[in-house]
Amino acid sequence: MELSRRNFLKSGVAAATAMAVGVPISRIASVAAAETEQDWRWDKGVCRFCGVGCGIMIATQDGKIVATKGDPDAPVNRGLNCVKGYFNGKILYGKDRLTQPLMRMTDGRFDKKGKFTPVTWDQAFDEMAIQFKKAYEEKGPTGIGVIGSGQWLIQEGYAMTKLMKAGFRSNNIDPNARNCMASAVAAFMQVFGIDEPPGNYDDIEYTDTVVAWGANMAEAHPVLWQRVIDRRLGHSDMKIVNITTLRNMTSEGSDLEIIIKPNTDTALLNYLAREIIQRDAVNQAFVDAHCVFCAGPTDIGYGMRATDKFAFEAEKDIQAREVEVTLTRDEAIGLGLDPEQVHTIKQANAATADRHWLVGFEDFKAGVAPYTLDFVAELAKGDAEESLDAFKAKLMRLADLYADPKRKLVSFWTMGFNQHVRGTWVNEQIYSVHLLLGKIAEPGNSPFSLTGQPSACGTAREVGTFSHRLPADMVVNIAKHRDITEQTWKLPPKTLNPKVGSHITKIMRDLEDGSMSWVWVQVNNPFQHVANANHWLKAARENDNFIVVSDAYPSISAKVADLILPVAMIFEKWGGYGNAERRTQLWREQVPPPGEARSDLWQILEFSKRITLAEVWKEQAIPGLKDEGFEEGKLPDVMAAAQEMGYQPEMTLYEALFETPENKAFAWPDPVSKGHDNHTVKHLGVDWFVEKALFEEYAGFGRGHHHDLAPFDVYYQDDVRGLRWPVVDGKETPWRFNAKYDPYVKNGEIEFYGGAMKELTTGNLTGPTTEEKTKFPGKAKIFFRPYAAPVESPDGNYDLWLCTGRLLEHWHTGTMTRRVPELHRAMPAAVLDMNEKDAEERGLKRQDAVWIESRRGKIKAVIETTGRNRPPRGYSFMAFFDESVFVNKLCIDATCPISKEEDFKKTAIKIYKV
Amino acid sequence: MATKRQTTPALWNWRYLILRRVVQIGVLLLFFGTLHWGWSLFGLPLLSGNLSASEVLGQVTLADPFATLQILLTGHGLQAEVLLGAALVLGVFVILGGRVWCSWVCPVNLVTDVAGVLHRKTWRKNLFALPHHLRYTVLALALLLSVLIGLPAFEWVSPIGAMHREIIFGLGLGWTALVGLFLFDWLVVKHGWCGHLCPLGAFYSLVGRHTAQIRVKFDQSTCNGCGDCQAICPEPQVLNLKRLARDGQVLSGECTNCARCIPICPEKSLAFGWRLTQPGSGSVPAQHRLIMKEDNP
Amino acid sequence: MCRTHPSEPSAFITSGDSPIMTTRRGFIQKTIQGAAVATSGGMLWSYLVIQNARAEPLALRPPGALPDADFNALCIKCGRCVVACPYDTLTLAALADRAPLGTPYFEPRQIPCYLCHDIPCKVACPTGALSPTLENVMDSRMGLAFIDTEHCLSWQGLRCEICYRVCPLRDKAIRVETRRRELSKHAMLLPIVLSEGCTGCGICENACPTEIAAIKVLPAELIQGKIGDHFRMGWKQADGATPGSGPGDTWKGQMDAAPAQGQAPGLDYLNEPEF
Repeated sequence: MELSRRNFLKSGVAAATAMAVGVPISRIASVAAAETEQDWRWDKGVCRFCGVGCGIMIATQDGKIVATKGDPDAPVNRGLNCVKGYFNGKILYGKDRLTQPLMRMTDGRFDKKGKFTPVTWDQAFDEMAIQFKKAYEEKGPTGIGVIGSGQWLIQEGYAMTKLMKAGFRSNNIDPNARNCMASAVAAFMQVFGIDEPPGNYDDIEYTDTVVAWGANMAEAHPVLWQRVIDRRLGHSDMKIVNITTLRNMTSEGSDLEIIIKPNTDTALLNYLAREIIQRDAVNQAFVDAHCVFCAGPTDIGYGMRATDKFAFEAEKDIQAREVEVTLTRDEAIGLGLDPEQVHTIKQANAATADRHWLVGFEDFKAGVAPYTLDFVAELAKGDAEESLDAFKAKLMRLADLYADPKRKLVSFWTMGFNQHVRGTWVNEQIYSVHLLLGKIAEPGNSPFSLTGQPSACGTAREVGTFSHRLPADMVVNIAKHRDITEQTWKLPPKTLNPKVGSHITKIMRDLEDGSMSWVWVQVNNPFQHVANANHWLKAARENDNFIVVSDAYPSISAKVADLILPVAMIFEKWGGYGNAERRTQLWREQVPPPGEARSDLWQILEFSKRITLAEVWKEQAIPGLKDEGFEEGKLPDVMAAAQEMGYQPEMTLYEALFETPENKAFAWPDPVSKGHDNHTVKHLGVDWFVEKALFEEYAGFGRGHHHDLAPFDVYYQDDVRGLRWPVVDGKETPWRFNAKYDPYVKNGEIEFYGGAMKELTTGNLTGPTTEEKTKFPGKAKIFFRPYAAPVESPDGNYDLWLCTGRLLEHWHTGTMTRRVPELHRAMPAAVLDMNEKDAEERGLKRQDAVWIESRRGKIKAVIETTGRNRPPRGYSFMAFFDESVFVNKLCIDATCPISKEEDFKKTAIKIYKV
Repeated sequence: MATKRQTTPALWNWRYLILRRVVQIGVLLLFFGTLHWGWSLFGLPLLSGNLSASEVLGQVTLADPFATLQILLTGHGLQAEVLLGAALVLGVFVILGGRVWCSWVCPVNLVTDVAGVLHRKTWRKNLFALPHHLRYTVLALALLLSVLIGLPAFEWVSPIGAMHREIIFGLGLGWTALVGLFLFDWLVVKHGWCGHLCPLGAFYSLVGRHTAQIRVKFDQSTCNGCGDCQAICPEPQVLNLKRLARDGQVLSGECTNCARCIPICPEKSLAFGWRLTQPGSGSVPAQHRLIMKEDNP
Repeated sequence: MCRTHPSEPSAFITSGDSPIMTTRRGFIQKTIQGAAVATSGGMLWSYLVIQNARAEPLALRPPGALPDADFNALCIKCGRCVVACPYDTLTLAALADRAPLGTPYFEPRQIPCYLCHDIPCKVACPTGALSPTLENVMDSRMGLAFIDTEHCLSWQGLRCEICYRVCPLRDKAIRVETRRRELSKHAMLLPIVLSEGCTGCGICENACPTEIAAIKVLPAELIQGKIGDHFRMGWKQADGATPGSGPGDTWKGQMDAAPAQGQAPGLDYLNEPEF
């Protein structure tokens, strides 16, 4: 950082003095520098990047961040950072930071085909409102959508959810977290009836074993990986296993590396379950007391569209599998069917993929019976150059580690499990293994889903910014949850829309088929990150629609937009994040945003001033709505009821939803600010503390309902470094479901008290056999889920696997980290990691430029055979941060049919020299 | 005489100068264009490298024979490719006349010519005298030192190398050496570098001394001994009239075939032509006694 | 028209002989003077050249470059390697650059050598200054990376190791070792350079994210130490004692040079009267 002129002169004088009296100049300079630093204001914050949630300290001077440091008091990272975190201060100061609203215009008027032109905020919001009303009047609440983020601040996500669901009565709000951990969420809900992990990071220091499943922790969760390695260095019996489809950085630190074929994790987990039963290692007392067994349909499709109307010609063969599929031989064996016969099945349960029912232990046992060592080893061995015997030995070793009753074990997983056409299944299977062994909810024994984003938990999940969710684990399609929400929000009954909205991939599809024509994107770059991008880029630019993107930098999504709103970045606003171990961390506004950039929250509230209750709380058409108490296809007019509650038709949504008397009671300025500004409040021109009011309003949902957050001010105390919810009586909860640590456990030592889906019919592996429902409060479910082949596998034409993912140097689509020159220089371009022999076979060498082509498009990139990832034969990897390579043009937009999370890990490609 | 001079169109008088500049700059441009603008022919890079060594169309290697000689003298073996390249270049200049290189190719010539003109027009003083043959001593030293210190001695200090490298590959501080040369030639010794010191010039003086086929021919019958040619010649000693009269042509290897003398001669006594095998054959009327300046002190 | 000018004492030269050579004595005198000038000039000249060749030992040469003495002799300074490099890595040193004038070098912090498998710079070299015998670019030794552990993020505990991940010879040229941090429950992942594998390509130096690179590439001889031949690390198999290369043999030479009669080493000291 530069010295100010005054201090520069001062140090110049010091240097002159130093020479005169013979003091080393460097020491004098450091004294001068220390003097400069006296004027710095240090305050706590959170790292902007991954889900680990490292604490950082931020130094500011004259409205600029002058330095950051890892927070030595933060229990997560104790002063450390990864190299992205090291650059937290620099991401705000990229050269092309957006500082004023930009709209596509021709001759001074909005024109979809026009050029971006700077406009005032008023012009921007006026056009945005005109376009909103056009779409809303024409198509109703389903014609508009919001793509949000797991990087949204808690308050931003909450405000947008309230505006969309209570105001616009639309459930078409979905975060990019959908493509990050929705599978984990779906499995949490199905298995435990409540979201988020029972354990926490401290499990690492208590365990004897860490198994990483589809989680390149060494790169994706860098500082957490240091704790794993430290445990191994300090604990002689510690073992680390890396289960992966390619050799990666995590392999370097592992004792056992198991390279498997894509999607065979489902088979491998069934092998483990079978082995646990065979070895008599089931923790019978635990299972009897705390578990039930479940099964579900298997004809659930792949989350693609059932029609080929929009498919490219080359996509049609794969798309057809959404309607009907012929089982592979391995799938048949895994389902206990005769492998010699051809089994063609219709995807009858594609829309009801989340159905499940109770089965018996014997059913479960029969289900996993085909998953013998021989079958699974043959099926799953991912490295053609490894011997089958060696691979079998590894599987047995893995089973030894899991089955050993004395061994504590943590399973970590990330995108390898979650971005998976059977992502929910495989998440459930890992719980099944842990539940069978009773290795859960106690220090050192933990199935732990690592999140990718800094507030995937804190905002996307806990606030409930999904198309089906409401705050505190509630969902829109349960009447009781809507009632609670309507009461909390003081809404007339039946204001909330009971029909689940469009998830992020469906929002893109809605844009393509024209059923949605107004979309607002915040804290997110969906036009780069959503799979099969060629479709959506075209839909956004060529269909009659209006896309607003709030962004700090000119990303691909901003380029696609019709209106760009410049945003304040993380430390330019008050806010909070929640990390993967349920730790909620809040910070103050440290520096003002540049130019006319404003917080996303300010934008949400300002926009809400332009819509009145009369426009939204009237009768609304919702195609396909069918719910008890609702007229088919319609939301009722609630204006009359609203008027009885004191609302007026001409009231704006801002007045009705945000500037409520309760919220206005939180005065600004507030002592907690300690002299820090609040540009959101300033530009709204109000005297209430918006972020605090919204936080407290939101926290009201969870308090007393297993999701207790501490009071807003507590998080700002100097001695607090985030707290793991539920925070009950001022105490955080390190391990949930365990009476020793969790005040919500009322019955016995262990209680899975989550309340969702705890009443089911009973049947066998093929389906329910009774209508009658059984309740099983306090229990978790052990699912049988069979092996399922990927929807698309390499064939004669597209002959190579492509997996996409992250790497340490860059964050997601690189919008921020690519603005840091040092990080850009360290990793300037995404390369295709592939096996040297595969390259040779195609007449290629490292550094050759190639075309990479899938059924969905082609891109140009350079191949690397000695890169950080060393794929086995037939497999390749590319990171998705690089917009100039744009790998997501290639990826298939198939999803897990339950979680609707896309599978970015399994696309068939071919490559050839440019 | 004066009227006669004016009858010749100005541009025609400049023809050789223009042609030389075109060749000099053209060569540099070929190198530069190939490097910076990707000039190519049939998809092959036109001329890559620089005057020390280069490759024509990605096929034929050319090399500076003097540099090659120095390297050989350091005791290092060289690849056949570069030896052939040096031989090729050497062959060309053996036929054309060694110092054709100096006035038609060498980029430093651009600088020293300007300095020479300035000297003639402004200063006209030499601070001290340097013998023309000093360059042979420098040449001998370059070769000897190459042997002694194991480094190609001249290549390590050559302002010629510095200049063309820096023109082709981007400017560094080499221009300072050129400024030095320029000032030296302008203010210290007329034609100080090219005419007295440059060992590369000395090397080329020896090359083709007896074999150069293109020479400046002298027609004694028309010469009136005005001395204009010597006044403009950067190597005036080669226009020794006695020898000219004897040989009917410029035989000295030090002549650079720059052709300054040809258009300046009011009597058109000088012209390019093929080397005469018989000294003095044809053009020299032996009986005619030339009036020399020193005959009339 | 007379063009005689004071500065041109003999504007119209007719004789090749200069008047100073007229007497025998003058000739000898001039010869001696000339020889003296030539010798001192030659010494100055060679001093300049040698100084220039040695002045900047920091220069990194293209792959396959011969040892300095040979490279400096053979390099014809033609720049064809520079033209051939597809990444614009190489530069011909201009005056006052960090390498001897006119020779190719690169600064990895600007652009490193990306180790092209077909080594186009070597192919382009006409003189063999870039050794034609280099076949695998991974065998080239342009320099050696070293880490300033005081300013290396990883050595201070942060998760960086960018140098390790970008290294084309990962685990052969840079390895990561783990060590407990002790201050907290975090391990340190420490990059370590292995001189056996390091090509000196400088990709690590280029990628290093600190303000001034904490990993740098320099010619190996500038940074690499050497333990005495008289000691072998017995625990390293490659250095295990084998007949004929043991310490005894190395010392043998020194001990064998038997001192002449009456000149036993140490006598001088022992026979000094003072204590």
